[in-house]
Amino acid sequence: MAYLGRSSPTLKETILKIYRAEKPIEMDQHFYEFGSIQYHIKCSISDPNIVYVSTLTLLETQGTVMLKEMSSHTYEVIKNIAVGVIDIVDPPRVGFQLTLKLHLDNIPRGKEAIITITRISEIQAIILSSQLKEMLKSLNFQDDSQAMNSNRPIRIVYHPSEPFYVSRQPEKITAVFPMNFKDNSDVVIAMSFFQELVEVGSQKEMGKAPQCSWSPVPPFQLRGEPVHDLITNAGFVSFDITSRHVEGKRLDKTVWNLLNFYAYVKYHIKCSRGYIQRRMRKRMESLVKQLNNTRLEEEAPEKENGGCKYVKELVKVPKGKFMMQQRCKDMTRRVRISKFRIRINGCARFRWISIPKFSSKFSNKSYTKLD
Amino acid sequence: MANPLRLYLACIKNTLEAAMCLQNFPCQEVERHNKPEVELKTSPELLLNPVLICRNEAEKCLIETSINSLRISLKVKQADELENILTKKFLRFLSMRAEAFQVLRRKPVQGYDISFLITNYHCEEMQKQKLIDFIIQFMEDIEKEISELKISVNTRGRLVATEFLKQFM
Repeated sequence: MAYLGRSSPTLKETILKIYRAEKPIEMDQHFYEFGSIQYHIKCSISDPNIVYVSTLTLLETQGTVMLKEMSSHTYEVIKNIAVGVIDIVDPPRVGFQLTLKLHLDNIPRGKEAIITITRISEIQAIILSSQLKEMLKSLNFQDDSQAMNSNRPIRIVYHPSEPFYVSRQPEKITAVFPMNFKDNSDVVIAMSFFQELVEVGSQKEMGKAPQCSWSPVPPFQLRGEPVHDLITNAGFVSFDITSRHVEGKRLDKTVWNLLNFYAYVKYHIKCSRGYIQRRMRKRMESLVKQLNNTRLEEEAPEKENGGCKYVKELVKVPKGKFMMQQRCKDMTRRVRISKFRIRINGCARFRWISIPKFSSKFSNKSYTKLD
Repeated sequence: MANPLRLYLACIKNTLEAAMCLQNFPCQEVERHNKPEVELKTSPELLLNPVLICRNEAEKCLIETSINSLRISLKVKQADELENILTKKFLRFLSMRAEAFQVLRRKPVQGYDISFLITNYHCEEMQKQKLIDFIIQFMEDIEKEISELKISVNTRGRLVATEFLKQFM
């Protein structure tokens, strides 16, 4: 999951396509996003203003709070995205978690339409955030007795290979991310990132941000959890969320940042790898250039100029023309000699005999037309 | 260039200048064949003693000479895991594109990170002094590039981390 935006680009594009279509469209489309989110869009010609959008997310939560079923609060939030446009279908389509009935004719016209459709395509983000939001809300920071009783962390799985844990501590909630990467180079880049994250988090300017820590071994909060979750190649990153981070509007930001932490790290790794590749390519080009300069001087000028072939041709062409001109002159000279100066040995004594000159030019004096 | 590195490179340069006196020499084993003797190593009389120049345990250069070819193998310093990954990535990247370099060996000699093979034909085509300068420049560039890459990756990580934590504030 490298897309950090809240709205689903495919869902947005599909709804916009149906909304903008001049003729009614028949659509029955299934698609997946990030391997774990499933969508189904249905639209018929008989009722072109109604679109059914169904969605399913892998939600596996174990621990004290079980929120596999969506809460009434989440339903309310979804309804309030666009009042009059969204209806929640009960029961949802078979195999799906939620089905929405969209009334396209109620969507306001102009720029508002795009904004509304973008907000509708954020339903998955709302569903995903709502689970963690309610968890953070329900875990009362002030009530320490609850912390002593329910010490077991909650395992949250939004992607099969990326589970994370939320555990309650006195006066704080700790989110622990076991980090796993397939490639060794990814592990190294991620580790350097985590070190920087810890270092930056400990600075005074970042005092208001959640405290961040990294350890190669599982933190004590995860004691007793399944072993396969605790085997990692890039260690464990923990964020300490205090009451300050879940106040008012900050709750939304905090939840979204925690949900996207894996995606954020993976995106950083991908970009770093691209950057390294670009640098290597550039350096290689400069090294090849240097090596080409070592060639002996005869060939050196050819290499110096990028289009050596063309330069060579340019040099040759006038030379060839010159040669041709020379040859032509020589030829014409020979022809002249052969034509006009016929030498007959022993005839030198008849030099007085004048040979009439024939001119190729037409003149009135030389010829007269016979009648 | 730092002083210890300069000494190390100067030593390599002098050794290369002495070693790079290659001449055409047909293969003694196979008729009408001309092979780099430093690779075949079938005739000991055609080989010179290999020279190993070490800056430290992690950084060394092996120069093997024969009558018609010269093999230079380099081991590049890898202080930590990030440097190790970057060095491996970069040298693999270059080895995969060995045809662009002509003198670069596709596979390094065992125990080294990258190897060059210079034959008498290369010496005929290229200027000897410039070829030696290229090898030295190559070594300098590799070290510089890897340290720059390391700094860049760390700086980038720091910026990304700052941006991530700023979102909570």
